[in-house]
Amino acid sequence: MKIVKKKFRSWMSVCLLAALFVSLLSACGSDAKDNEAQDGKVTLKFWTIALQPTFNDYFNGLISEYQKSHPGVTVEWSDYPYDAISNKLLTGIASGNVPDVVNLNTEFANQMASKGALADLGQWMSDDEKKSYFDGIFNSTVFDNKAYALPWYTGTEVLFMNTRLVKQAGLDPKNPPKTRDELNEWSRQIKAKTGATGYATTFAARMFPVEGISILNDDKTAAAFNTPATLALIQKMQGLIQEGVLVKEDANFDKQIQYYSSEQTAFEIAGPTFINFIKTSAPDVYKNTIAVPLPTGKADVRLSNTMNVVVPLKSANAEQAAEFAKFLTNATNQTAFAKAANTLPSTKESIKDSFFTENDGTLESEAKVVSAESLDKAVDYMVGVPNAGDVNSAIARQLQEIFMNGKDPKQGLTEAEQEVNQILSQN
Amino acid sequence: MKKWMRTETFAAWAFMAPGLLIVAVFVLWPIVYGLPLSLTDYSVIGETHYVGLDNYVTAFQDKSFLASLWNSMVYVLIVPIIQIISILMAILVNSRIPLIKAFRAAYYIPVVTSMVAVALMWSWLFSSNGVINYALIQLGVIQEQVGWLSSSNTALYVIMFITMWKGLGYYMMLYLAGLQSIPTDLYEASMIDGASRWQTIYRITIPLLRPHILFCTLISLMGAIRVFDEVFVLTNGKGGPGTATLTSSLYIYQKGLVQFNFGYASALGLIVSVIVGILSILVFRLNKKGGVQTY
Repeated sequence: MKIVKKKFRSWMSVCLLAALFVSLLSACGSDAKDNEAQDGKVTLKFWTIALQPTFNDYFNGLISEYQKSHPGVTVEWSDYPYDAISNKLLTGIASGNVPDVVNLNTEFANQMASKGALADLGQWMSDDEKKSYFDGIFNSTVFDNKAYALPWYTGTEVLFMNTRLVKQAGLDPKNPPKTRDELNEWSRQIKAKTGATGYATTFAARMFPVEGISILNDDKTAAAFNTPATLALIQKMQGLIQEGVLVKEDANFDKQIQYYSSEQTAFEIAGPTFINFIKTSAPDVYKNTIAVPLPTGKADVRLSNTMNVVVPLKSANAEQAAEFAKFLTNATNQTAFAKAANTLPSTKESIKDSFFTENDGTLESEAKVVSAESLDKAVDYMVGVPNAGDVNSAIARQLQEIFMNGKDPKQGLTEAEQEVNQILSQN
Repeated sequence: MKKWMRTETFAAWAFMAPGLLIVAVFVLWPIVYGLPLSLTDYSVIGETHYVGLDNYVTAFQDKSFLASLWNSMVYVLIVPIIQIISILMAILVNSRIPLIKAFRAAYYIPVVTSMVAVALMWSWLFSSNGVINYALIQLGVIQEQVGWLSSSNTALYVIMFITMWKGLGYYMMLYLAGLQSIPTDLYEASMIDGASRWQTIYRITIPLLRPHILFCTLISLMGAIRVFDEVFVLTNGKGGPGTATLTSSLYIYQKGLVQFNFGYASALGLIVSVIVGILSILVFRLNKKGGVQTY
């Protein structure tokens, strides 16, 4: 009898705990109130990445201007660190606290679009509005003829050059290399005369479009990079690593800064933001650095790194959100923001402003002008690639295996192709 | 107050309830919920579809996942090494030699240092133009710079070394507590019987430390399989070069929180949990006896 009582008590305790647990969970899972338009009034939640507090004045002005011209619309602006935006967005969507307009990079925007999480903004845009952006940049988030993001501020890569090392190698910085082959030739000479390596890079899918190699086929259903041209490119790069033209390391941006700052490399391929880092970490190197147009590969394109704005499909005010996204990224506002933030606009009209052609002789100004001149050739390397993040890491892994671990290039490419096809088949 | 509310059992449950609730919500529930999730293509942001066992089939064909499992198994190699070194260190700091307290503190500093700080510090030391390469070149051990973290031959072992370096002090403290619970008369008896130092360690210390060895082995085994922080910091969250340092935790993180394949990530998580469970049972089986018995 005692034993039965004891067992009953234990079970009671467990049941009580379970009840508490369930009630707690149900509290967690209560529906968040939707952001519905009440009495014709709409509140748009606008999320950006790492723009507060530096650009508070610009955005507060922009938002109040928009609210004046759109009575009944209130824009609530929140800003999150770069590393936190994806988690914030996930938890926001999962809990029903869905933002209406979100600032994302191209890869993340494509990844979300592939999962069916973004609204097609094209349905609320005229042809003229679509054409107001640089084609290569606008198309990077278009697939199935649907525009899942509007390009906002951008940057194209330029070639930073350490003139001290270049002159020491007997080369003339005033006549910089125009093609990748010339850049490699210069690097060979620098290696021979100074001991410094040419440049450091990451081994990633972005090296394909530069040489005119498509990552995917036209209808984005299968990998298209497993070709003799790619194999030749990889073998050529392996040779460059052995010669000391390229650093044998999958060097991320921080590493590239370290190499360039310590004069272990003579060149750096990066956007204008690179200047801020060497200015503080290596003032002497900064003084000897110039910016020149990036030597192009076979495709004659330069890659852009673009920030976009998207409207989540679950936004309660998708159409009004698209309207605000168009306002935010129109030529007038992009020009103003580019001036405030020293970035580049993604609208064709903005680039005509004298701000992007004036060069006062500083490295910053030089890089800005050179970078702006490249915009008509700019293309994001992830043009309409579904599940861009997955595709990117699958290719990058195999490239690292080839370059760093001595894997057979043919086998590596075949495995990367299989993995990418498997990723695409999940769509 | 009712009679049953005055029982010890009720009091015990009442005291445990807050902690149990937290464990239930943040540990048990995700494990339980992970099972149905692993049978879907759940992505948080898109529509969810039932996919049956597809995720599991994909997992065992996924070369990156298999590579990550292999790396995690290689990582387990540090478990016995950590145990051996930390037991020897505990024996050392348990002796009465000068400055021993300073040694204890010094060994324990890495334990209380953030893993991110530790990983960053070692990444500078191990970088191509870092202090370690400089010292080895000066000593003539190597002829040219070695990319410790950028070569697949060395990257994983470097990260394992960092994990070991950080964990040694923690296990040393646990073993020290174990050593201090061993009755001194056993050592006195062994000295009278003429046992050597090594015989004393092998015949008395190690057998009586077995419960501690079991506990430390278990937690370091789980830690080795679930290793994440140091790999994430040292490889920028990639687990590179290639898949050289990709551990199962990092791969699950990539699949879930980076690529939004939460269904697939749940399947991977459950597979890894089962492996950890099996290994834990094995460790238990191998460490049944030992410890200080009280009669």
